[in-house]
Amino acid sequence: MAGTVFLYDPRPAASESAVQLMQTLDDLAGKVVGFIDNAKPNFNHLVDDLAALLVSKYGVKSVIKRQKPAATEPATDAVLAELVGQCDLVITGSGD
Amino acid sequence: MSSADNPAVRPAVLFETADDWDAINRLYRKNRWSDGLPIVPPTRERVEAMLRFAGRPRDALVARVAPAFGPATVEGIAINAVMAGCDPEYLPVLIAAVEAVSAPEFNLQAVQATTNPVAVMIILNGPLARTLEVNSTFNCLGEGYWANATLGRALRLVLRNIGGALPGDMDRATQGQPGKYTFCCAENEAENPWEPLHVERGYRADQSTVTVVGVEGTINMNTHTDKGDEVLNMFAQTMIHPPSNEYIFGGEPWLILGPEHAATLARAGYSKADIKATLWELSRMPASILPPKDLERVRNARRPELGEFGAEAMLTISPRPEDICIVVAGGPGTHSTYAPSFGMIRAVTRVVGQ
Repeated sequence: MAGTVFLYDPRPAASESAVQLMQTLDDLAGKVVGFIDNAKPNFNHLVDDLAALLVSKYGVKSVIKRQKPAATEPATDAVLAELVGQCDLVITGSGD
Repeated sequence: MSSADNPAVRPAVLFETADDWDAINRLYRKNRWSDGLPIVPPTRERVEAMLRFAGRPRDALVARVAPAFGPATVEGIAINAVMAGCDPEYLPVLIAAVEAVSAPEFNLQAVQATTNPVAVMIILNGPLARTLEVNSTFNCLGEGYWANATLGRALRLVLRNIGGALPGDMDRATQGQPGKYTFCCAENEAENPWEPLHVERGYRADQSTVTVVGVEGTINMNTHTDKGDEVLNMFAQTMIHPPSNEYIFGGEPWLILGPEHAATLARAGYSKADIKATLWELSRMPASILPPKDLERVRNARRPELGEFGAEAMLTISPRPEDICIVVAGGPGTHSTYAPSFGMIRAVTRVVGQ
Protein backbone atom coordinates (compact mmCIF):
# COMPACT_ATOMS: atom_id res chain seq x y z
CA MET A 1 0.00 0.00 0.00
CA ALA A 2 1.54 3.26 -1.09
CA GLY A 3 1.65 6.17 1.31
CA THR A 4 0.43 9.60 0.42
CA VAL A 5 2.13 12.68 -0.94
CA PHE A 6 1.26 16.36 -1.09
CA LEU A 7 1.21 17.79 -4.63
CA TYR A 8 0.48 21.18 -6.11
CA ASP A 9 -2.21 22.00 -8.62
CA PRO A 10 -0.23 23.83 -11.38
CA ARG A 11 -2.99 26.32 -12.07
CA PRO A 12 -3.52 29.62 -10.25
CA ALA A 13 -5.82 29.28 -7.28
CA ALA A 14 -9.27 30.70 -7.83
CA SER A 15 -9.68 34.27 -6.69
CA GLU A 16 -11.68 34.88 -3.53
CA SER A 17 -12.52 38.43 -4.47
CA ALA A 18 -15.82 39.01 -6.27
CA VAL A 19 -15.70 40.37 -9.80
CA GLN A 20 -18.01 43.30 -10.38
CA LEU A 21 -19.63 42.94 -13.80
CA MET A 22 -21.04 45.87 -15.71
CA GLN A 23 -24.72 46.41 -15.17
CA THR A 24 -26.76 44.99 -18.02
CA LEU A 25 -29.00 47.21 -20.14
CA ASP A 26 -32.77 46.93 -19.79
CA ASP A 27 -33.33 47.70 -23.44
CA LEU A 28 -31.52 49.09 -26.46
CA ALA A 29 -33.82 52.01 -27.30
CA GLY A 30 -31.88 55.24 -27.59
CA LYS A 31 -28.58 53.56 -26.84
CA VAL A 32 -25.29 53.88 -28.72
CA VAL A 33 -23.80 50.54 -29.77
CA GLY A 34 -20.17 50.05 -30.75
CA PHE A 35 -18.63 47.27 -32.83
CA ILE A 36 -14.97 46.30 -32.90
CA ASP A 37 -14.52 44.57 -36.24
CA ASN A 38 -11.62 42.14 -35.94
CA ALA A 39 -10.81 42.47 -39.67
CA LYS A 40 -11.59 38.85 -40.45
CA PRO A 41 -13.14 38.43 -43.90
CA ASN A 42 -16.83 39.36 -44.10
CA PHE A 43 -17.21 40.50 -40.52
CA ASN A 44 -17.76 44.03 -41.84
CA HIS A 45 -20.79 42.80 -43.82
CA LEU A 46 -22.19 41.08 -40.74
CA VAL A 47 -21.74 44.29 -38.74
CA ASP A 48 -23.52 46.33 -41.41
CA ASP A 49 -26.55 44.02 -41.29
CA LEU A 50 -26.58 43.88 -37.49
CA ALA A 51 -26.31 47.67 -37.26
CA ALA A 52 -29.31 48.14 -39.57
CA LEU A 53 -31.29 45.62 -37.54
CA LEU A 54 -30.37 47.23 -34.21
CA VAL A 55 -31.61 50.60 -35.42
CA SER A 56 -34.75 49.46 -37.26
CA LYS A 57 -35.97 46.78 -34.86
CA TYR A 58 -34.60 47.79 -31.44
CA GLY A 59 -34.52 51.56 -31.66
CA VAL A 60 -30.79 51.92 -31.20
CA LYS A 61 -29.83 55.58 -31.53
CA SER A 62 -26.60 55.02 -33.45
CA VAL A 63 -23.89 52.47 -34.17
CA ILE A 64 -20.15 53.16 -34.16
CA LYS A 65 -18.06 50.68 -36.19
CA ARG A 66 -14.29 50.54 -35.84
CA GLN A 67 -12.06 47.98 -37.53
CA LYS A 68 -8.78 46.67 -36.09
CA PRO A 69 -5.81 46.59 -38.50
CA ALA A 70 -5.67 42.81 -38.06
CA ALA A 71 -7.27 40.11 -35.93
CA THR A 72 -3.94 39.51 -34.19
CA GLU A 73 -3.58 43.11 -33.09
CA PRO A 74 -5.43 44.70 -30.18
CA ALA A 75 -7.71 47.66 -30.82
CA THR A 76 -5.79 50.89 -30.42
CA ASP A 77 -6.04 52.90 -27.23
CA ALA A 78 -7.68 55.71 -29.20
CA VAL A 79 -10.42 53.38 -30.48
CA LEU A 80 -11.00 51.96 -27.02
CA ALA A 81 -11.20 55.46 -25.50
CA GLU A 82 -13.64 56.56 -28.19
CA LEU A 83 -15.91 53.57 -27.69
CA VAL A 84 -15.78 53.77 -23.90
CA GLY A 85 -16.64 57.46 -24.07
CA GLN A 86 -19.50 57.19 -26.51
CA CYS A 87 -21.11 53.77 -26.28
CA ASP A 88 -23.57 52.16 -23.90
CA LEU A 89 -22.70 48.72 -25.26
CA VAL A 90 -19.73 47.40 -27.27
CA ILE A 91 -19.70 44.14 -29.24
CA THR A 92 -16.32 42.67 -30.14
CA GLY A 93 -16.17 40.69 -33.34
CA SER A 94 -14.91 37.23 -33.96
CA GLY A 95 -16.23 36.63 -37.43
CA ASP A 96 -14.51 34.86 -40.29
CA MET B 1 4.01 43.14 -6.22
CA SER B 2 3.12 40.29 -3.91
CA SER B 3 -0.13 38.54 -3.13
CA ALA B 4 -0.31 40.61 0.07
CA ASP B 5 -0.73 43.65 -2.19
CA ASN B 6 -3.12 41.86 -4.47
CA PRO B 7 -5.81 39.85 -2.70
CA ALA B 8 -6.91 38.31 -6.02
CA VAL B 9 -3.66 36.30 -6.07
CA ARG B 10 -3.73 33.32 -3.72
CA PRO B 11 -1.28 30.55 -2.88
CA ALA B 12 -1.38 27.47 -5.10
CA VAL B 13 -3.63 24.61 -4.03
CA LEU B 14 -1.88 21.73 -2.29
CA PHE B 15 -3.67 18.38 -2.18
CA GLU B 16 -2.94 14.95 -0.76
CA THR B 17 -2.96 11.91 -2.98
CA ALA B 18 -1.52 8.40 -3.16
CA ASP B 19 2.25 8.36 -3.62
CA ASP B 20 2.00 6.39 -6.85
CA TRP B 21 3.80 7.78 -9.93
CA ASP B 22 1.45 6.11 -12.40
CA ALA B 23 -1.67 7.28 -10.59
CA ILE B 24 -0.30 10.81 -10.26
CA ASN B 25 0.42 10.98 -13.97
CA ARG B 26 -3.04 9.64 -14.76
CA LEU B 27 -4.50 12.44 -12.63
CA TYR B 28 -2.43 15.21 -14.28
CA ARG B 29 -3.24 13.75 -17.71
CA LYS B 30 -6.97 13.57 -16.96
CA ASN B 31 -6.98 17.18 -15.73
CA ARG B 32 -5.01 18.40 -18.79
CA TRP B 33 -2.28 19.72 -16.49
CA SER B 34 0.46 18.15 -18.63
CA ASP B 35 1.64 18.81 -22.18
CA GLY B 36 1.05 15.17 -23.14
CA LEU B 37 4.28 13.85 -21.68
CA PRO B 38 4.71 12.36 -18.20
CA ILE B 39 5.46 14.95 -15.53
CA VAL B 40 7.68 15.07 -12.48
CA PRO B 41 5.21 15.18 -9.58
CA PRO B 42 5.32 18.68 -8.04
CA THR B 43 5.68 17.60 -4.45
CA ARG B 44 5.93 20.10 -1.65
CA GLU B 45 9.59 19.16 -1.20
CA ARG B 46 10.53 19.58 -4.86
CA VAL B 47 8.76 22.93 -5.13
CA GLU B 48 10.45 24.17 -1.95
CA ALA B 49 13.84 23.13 -3.37
CA MET B 50 13.06 25.00 -6.60
CA LEU B 51 11.97 28.11 -4.73
CA ARG B 52 15.31 28.39 -2.94
CA PHE B 53 16.74 29.66 -6.25
CA ALA B 54 13.94 32.13 -7.00
CA GLY B 55 15.61 35.25 -5.66
CA ARG B 56 12.13 36.65 -5.01
CA PRO B 57 9.33 35.97 -2.56
CA ARG B 58 7.23 32.94 -3.51
CA ASP B 59 4.07 35.05 -3.65
CA ALA B 60 5.58 37.73 -5.92
CA LEU B 61 3.41 38.30 -8.97
CA VAL B 62 5.62 38.03 -12.05
CA ALA B 63 2.96 38.63 -14.71
CA ARG B 64 -0.57 37.90 -15.76
CA VAL B 65 -0.45 35.40 -18.58
CA ALA B 66 -2.85 35.73 -21.51
CA PRO B 67 -5.35 34.67 -22.67
CA ALA B 68 -6.81 33.72 -19.26
CA PHE B 69 -4.64 36.40 -17.63
CA GLY B 70 -3.91 33.96 -14.84
CA PRO B 71 -1.55 35.33 -12.19
CA ALA B 72 1.93 33.83 -12.59
CA THR B 73 3.48 33.97 -9.15
CA VAL B 74 6.99 32.77 -8.44
CA GLU B 75 5.40 29.78 -6.72
CA GLY B 76 3.20 28.94 -9.71
CA ILE B 77 6.16 29.16 -12.09
CA ALA B 78 8.20 26.93 -9.77
CA ILE B 79 5.46 24.29 -9.70
CA ASN B 80 5.39 24.11 -13.49
CA ALA B 81 9.19 24.09 -13.62
CA VAL B 82 9.26 21.05 -11.34
CA MET B 83 6.71 19.29 -13.53
CA ALA B 84 8.87 19.96 -16.62
CA GLY B 85 11.95 18.46 -14.96
CA CYS B 86 13.89 21.70 -14.50
CA ASP B 87 16.86 21.82 -12.17
CA PRO B 88 16.17 24.35 -9.37
CA GLU B 89 18.94 26.60 -10.72
CA TYR B 90 16.88 27.20 -13.88
CA LEU B 91 14.05 29.01 -12.08
CA PRO B 92 15.34 32.60 -12.51
CA VAL B 93 15.60 31.99 -16.27
CA LEU B 94 12.02 30.85 -16.40
CA ILE B 95 10.83 33.80 -14.34
CA ALA B 96 12.54 36.17 -16.77
CA ALA B 97 10.99 34.29 -19.71
CA VAL B 98 7.49 34.63 -18.22
CA GLU B 99 8.08 38.34 -17.73
CA ALA B 100 9.27 38.63 -21.31
CA VAL B 101 6.35 36.85 -22.97
CA SER B 102 3.95 39.02 -20.98
CA ALA B 103 5.36 42.30 -22.29
CA PRO B 104 2.74 44.04 -24.48
CA GLU B 105 4.91 44.04 -27.62
CA PHE B 106 5.09 40.24 -27.51
CA ASN B 107 1.33 40.18 -28.13
CA LEU B 108 0.88 37.00 -26.09
CA GLN B 109 -2.89 37.02 -26.28
CA ALA B 110 -2.69 36.59 -30.05
CA VAL B 111 0.20 34.11 -29.81
CA GLN B 112 -1.75 31.94 -27.41
CA ALA B 113 -5.15 32.06 -29.07
CA THR B 114 -4.35 32.13 -32.79
CA THR B 115 -4.89 29.42 -35.41
CA ASN B 116 -1.24 30.04 -36.42
CA PRO B 117 1.33 27.40 -35.31
CA VAL B 118 3.48 30.00 -33.52
CA ALA B 119 5.71 28.63 -30.76
CA VAL B 120 7.82 30.56 -28.27
CA MET B 121 11.57 30.20 -28.81
CA ILE B 122 13.80 31.05 -25.84
CA ILE B 123 17.32 32.30 -26.53
CA LEU B 124 19.82 32.64 -23.68
CA ASN B 125 22.84 34.91 -23.71
CA GLY B 126 25.56 35.69 -21.23
CA PRO B 127 27.50 33.73 -18.62
CA LEU B 128 24.52 31.95 -17.05
CA ALA B 129 23.83 30.08 -20.28
CA ARG B 130 27.25 28.49 -19.96
CA THR B 131 26.88 27.82 -16.22
CA LEU B 132 23.57 26.07 -16.77
CA GLU B 133 24.99 24.19 -19.80
CA VAL B 134 22.35 25.43 -22.21
CA ASN B 135 23.37 23.94 -25.52
CA SER B 136 24.47 26.43 -28.17
CA THR B 137 26.35 24.11 -30.52
CA PHE B 138 25.62 20.71 -32.12
CA ASN B 139 21.87 20.04 -32.39
CA CYS B 140 21.09 23.13 -30.31
CA LEU B 141 17.50 23.17 -31.54
CA GLY B 142 17.19 19.42 -31.17
CA GLU B 143 17.08 16.99 -28.27
CA GLY B 144 19.68 15.85 -25.81
CA TYR B 145 20.31 18.71 -23.37
CA TRP B 146 18.50 18.93 -20.06
CA ALA B 147 18.39 22.72 -19.79
CA ASN B 148 17.19 23.26 -23.37
CA ALA B 149 14.56 20.56 -23.11
CA THR B 150 13.14 21.38 -19.70
CA LEU B 151 13.25 25.19 -19.86
CA GLY B 152 11.26 25.26 -23.08
CA ARG B 153 8.87 22.67 -21.73
CA ALA B 154 8.39 24.58 -18.49
CA LEU B 155 7.45 27.76 -20.32
CA ARG B 156 4.90 25.80 -22.34
CA LEU B 157 3.40 24.40 -19.13
CA VAL B 158 3.13 27.94 -17.73
CA LEU B 159 1.43 29.07 -20.94
CA ARG B 160 -1.06 26.20 -20.61
CA ASN B 161 -1.66 25.97 -16.89
CA ILE B 162 -1.44 29.64 -15.93
CA GLY B 163 -2.24 31.23 -19.29
CA GLY B 164 -5.07 28.80 -19.96
CA ALA B 165 -4.14 28.04 -23.57
CA LEU B 166 -5.37 24.49 -24.03
CA PRO B 167 -5.56 23.14 -27.59
CA GLY B 168 -9.06 23.26 -28.98
CA ASP B 169 -10.19 25.56 -26.21
CA MET B 170 -8.40 28.90 -26.00
CA ASP B 171 -5.41 27.67 -28.05
CA ARG B 172 -6.98 27.58 -31.51
CA ALA B 173 -3.85 26.41 -33.39
CA THR B 174 -4.89 24.59 -36.54
CA GLN B 175 -1.88 22.29 -36.49
CA GLY B 176 0.66 23.75 -34.08
CA GLN B 177 4.25 22.58 -34.39
CA PRO B 178 6.74 20.40 -32.49
CA GLY B 179 8.38 23.55 -31.08
CA LYS B 180 5.37 23.96 -28.82
CA TYR B 181 6.76 21.12 -26.66
CA THR B 182 10.06 22.88 -26.15
CA PHE B 183 12.14 25.42 -28.07
CA CYS B 184 15.20 26.76 -26.31
CA CYS B 185 18.87 27.29 -27.06
CA ALA B 186 21.76 29.57 -26.19
CA GLU B 187 23.64 31.77 -28.60
CA ASN B 188 27.03 30.37 -29.62
CA GLU B 189 28.79 33.52 -28.48
CA ALA B 190 32.25 31.93 -28.80
CA GLU B 191 31.79 31.55 -32.56
CA ASN B 192 29.78 34.70 -33.17
CA PRO B 193 32.02 37.06 -35.19
CA TRP B 194 29.88 40.04 -34.24
CA GLU B 195 28.47 41.37 -30.96
CA PRO B 196 26.17 38.89 -29.16
CA LEU B 197 22.43 39.22 -29.49
CA HIS B 198 21.94 40.70 -26.01
CA VAL B 199 24.67 43.31 -26.53
CA GLU B 200 23.04 44.31 -29.82
CA ARG B 201 19.79 44.69 -27.88
CA GLY B 202 21.36 47.05 -25.34
CA TYR B 203 22.68 44.84 -22.56
CA ARG B 204 26.21 44.32 -21.27
CA ALA B 205 28.14 41.26 -22.37
CA ASP B 206 28.47 40.11 -18.76
CA GLN B 207 24.73 40.19 -18.15
CA SER B 208 22.68 37.04 -18.60
CA THR B 209 19.53 37.50 -20.60
CA VAL B 210 16.62 35.60 -21.98
CA THR B 211 15.05 36.61 -25.29
CA VAL B 212 11.67 35.25 -26.33
CA VAL B 213 10.66 35.03 -29.98
CA GLY B 214 7.37 33.89 -31.49
CA VAL B 215 8.14 31.84 -34.59
CA GLU B 216 6.00 29.96 -37.06
CA GLY B 217 8.58 27.21 -37.51
CA THR B 218 12.07 26.49 -38.76
CA ILE B 219 13.26 26.19 -42.33
CA ASN B 220 16.70 24.75 -42.95
CA MET B 221 19.07 26.60 -45.30
CA ASN B 222 21.96 24.47 -46.52
CA THR B 223 24.45 26.11 -48.87
CA HIS B 224 28.08 25.14 -49.36
CA THR B 225 29.17 28.37 -50.99
CA ASP B 226 32.03 30.25 -49.37
CA LYS B 227 30.99 33.58 -50.90
CA GLY B 228 29.10 35.94 -48.64
CA ASP B 229 26.88 37.45 -51.31
CA GLU B 230 25.83 33.99 -52.46
CA VAL B 231 24.99 32.98 -48.89
CA LEU B 232 22.77 36.03 -48.50
CA ASN B 233 21.03 35.41 -51.80
CA MET B 234 20.18 31.88 -50.69
CA PHE B 235 18.84 33.23 -47.39
CA ALA B 236 16.75 35.86 -49.17
CA GLN B 237 15.23 33.31 -51.54
CA THR B 238 14.20 31.27 -48.49
CA MET B 239 12.74 34.27 -46.72
CA ILE B 240 10.45 34.94 -49.69
CA HIS B 241 7.88 32.63 -48.20
CA PRO B 242 4.48 33.97 -49.28
CA PRO B 243 2.24 32.08 -46.82
CA SER B 244 4.11 33.33 -43.75
CA ASN B 245 2.78 36.17 -41.65
CA GLU B 246 5.88 38.30 -42.28
CA TYR B 247 4.74 39.96 -45.48
CA ILE B 248 1.14 40.19 -44.31
CA PHE B 249 1.86 42.16 -41.16
CA GLY B 250 5.38 43.47 -41.68
CA GLY B 251 7.17 41.18 -39.31
CA GLU B 252 10.40 40.45 -37.55
CA PRO B 253 12.09 37.55 -39.37
CA TRP B 254 14.75 35.61 -37.48
CA LEU B 255 17.89 34.03 -38.87
CA ILE B 256 19.67 31.46 -36.73
CA LEU B 257 23.05 31.44 -38.42
CA GLY B 258 25.28 28.41 -38.19
CA PRO B 259 28.83 29.45 -37.21
CA GLU B 260 30.24 28.52 -40.66
CA HIS B 261 27.83 30.79 -42.49
CA ALA B 262 28.49 33.53 -39.92
CA ALA B 263 32.21 33.19 -40.48
CA THR B 264 31.77 33.27 -44.26
CA LEU B 265 29.77 36.49 -44.01
CA ALA B 266 32.22 38.09 -41.57
CA ARG B 267 35.18 37.20 -43.79
CA ALA B 268 33.38 38.85 -46.68
CA GLY B 269 33.21 42.03 -44.61
CA TYR B 270 29.54 41.99 -43.68
CA SER B 271 28.48 43.48 -40.37
CA LYS B 272 25.13 42.50 -38.89
CA ALA B 273 23.69 45.79 -40.15
CA ASP B 274 25.04 45.07 -43.65
CA ILE B 275 23.40 41.64 -43.63
CA LYS B 276 20.07 43.07 -42.55
CA ALA B 277 20.15 45.84 -45.15
CA THR B 278 21.09 43.40 -47.92
CA LEU B 279 18.47 40.81 -46.98
CA TRP B 280 15.78 43.46 -46.63
CA GLU B 281 16.32 44.48 -50.26
CA LEU B 282 16.85 40.99 -51.68
CA SER B 283 13.77 39.56 -49.97
CA ARG B 284 11.29 42.00 -51.49
CA MET B 285 8.36 39.95 -52.76
CA PRO B 286 6.01 40.83 -55.62
CA ALA B 287 2.61 41.62 -54.11
CA SER B 288 1.11 39.87 -57.13
CA ILE B 289 2.14 36.49 -55.68
CA LEU B 290 -0.55 36.86 -53.03
CA PRO B 291 -4.17 35.92 -53.70
CA PRO B 292 -6.52 38.93 -53.58
CA LYS B 293 -7.89 38.05 -50.13
CA ASP B 294 -4.39 37.87 -48.69
CA LEU B 295 -3.38 41.07 -50.44
CA GLU B 296 -6.32 42.73 -48.76
CA ARG B 297 -4.99 41.54 -45.41
CA VAL B 298 -1.67 43.22 -46.22
CA ARG B 299 -3.46 46.45 -47.06
CA ASN B 300 -5.48 46.35 -43.84
CA ALA B 301 -2.47 45.61 -41.68
CA ARG B 302 0.26 47.69 -43.34
CA ARG B 303 -1.60 50.71 -44.76
CA PRO B 304 -0.10 53.10 -42.16
CA GLU B 305 3.37 51.85 -43.09
CA LEU B 306 3.09 51.35 -46.87
CA GLY B 307 0.24 53.62 -47.91
CA GLU B 308 -1.85 52.59 -50.90
CA PHE B 309 -0.24 50.12 -53.29
CA GLY B 310 -1.16 47.84 -56.17
CA ALA B 311 -0.31 44.28 -57.13
CA GLU B 312 2.83 45.53 -58.87
CA ALA B 313 4.36 46.60 -55.55
CA MET B 314 7.40 44.84 -54.13
CA LEU B 315 6.59 44.10 -50.50
CA THR B 316 9.28 44.31 -47.85
CA ILE B 317 9.42 41.51 -45.30
CA SER B 318 9.52 43.94 -42.37
CA PRO B 319 8.99 47.64 -41.85
CA ARG B 320 12.72 48.33 -41.48
CA PRO B 321 15.95 46.43 -42.25
CA GLU B 322 16.80 46.42 -38.56
CA ASP B 323 13.67 44.39 -37.84
CA ILE B 324 15.49 41.37 -39.29
CA CYS B 325 17.09 39.58 -36.33
CA ILE B 326 20.27 37.52 -36.28
CA VAL B 327 21.51 35.02 -33.72
CA VAL B 328 24.45 32.63 -34.13
CA ALA B 329 23.92 29.08 -32.92
CA GLY B 330 24.83 25.53 -33.83
CA GLY B 331 27.89 23.40 -34.46
CA PRO B 332 30.04 22.85 -37.55
CA GLY B 333 28.23 22.46 -40.86
CA THR B 334 26.83 24.49 -43.70
CA HIS B 335 23.36 24.90 -42.22
CA SER B 336 21.44 27.90 -40.98
CA THR B 337 17.80 28.27 -40.04
CA TYR B 338 15.18 30.72 -41.14
CA ALA B 339 12.52 31.21 -38.47
CA PRO B 340 9.63 33.30 -39.77
CA SER B 341 7.97 35.15 -36.94
CA PHE B 342 4.30 35.33 -36.08
CA GLY B 343 4.38 38.73 -37.77
CA MET B 344 2.39 40.86 -35.36
CA ILE B 345 4.93 40.42 -32.62
CA ARG B 346 8.26 41.72 -31.41
CA ALA B 347 10.87 39.73 -29.51
CA VAL B 348 11.48 40.75 -25.91
CA THR B 349 14.67 40.47 -23.86
CA ARG B 350 14.87 40.45 -20.08
CA VAL B 351 17.83 40.21 -17.72
CA VAL B 352 17.81 37.05 -15.62
CA GLY B 353 17.68 37.64 -11.90
CA GLN B 354 16.35 41.19 -11.88
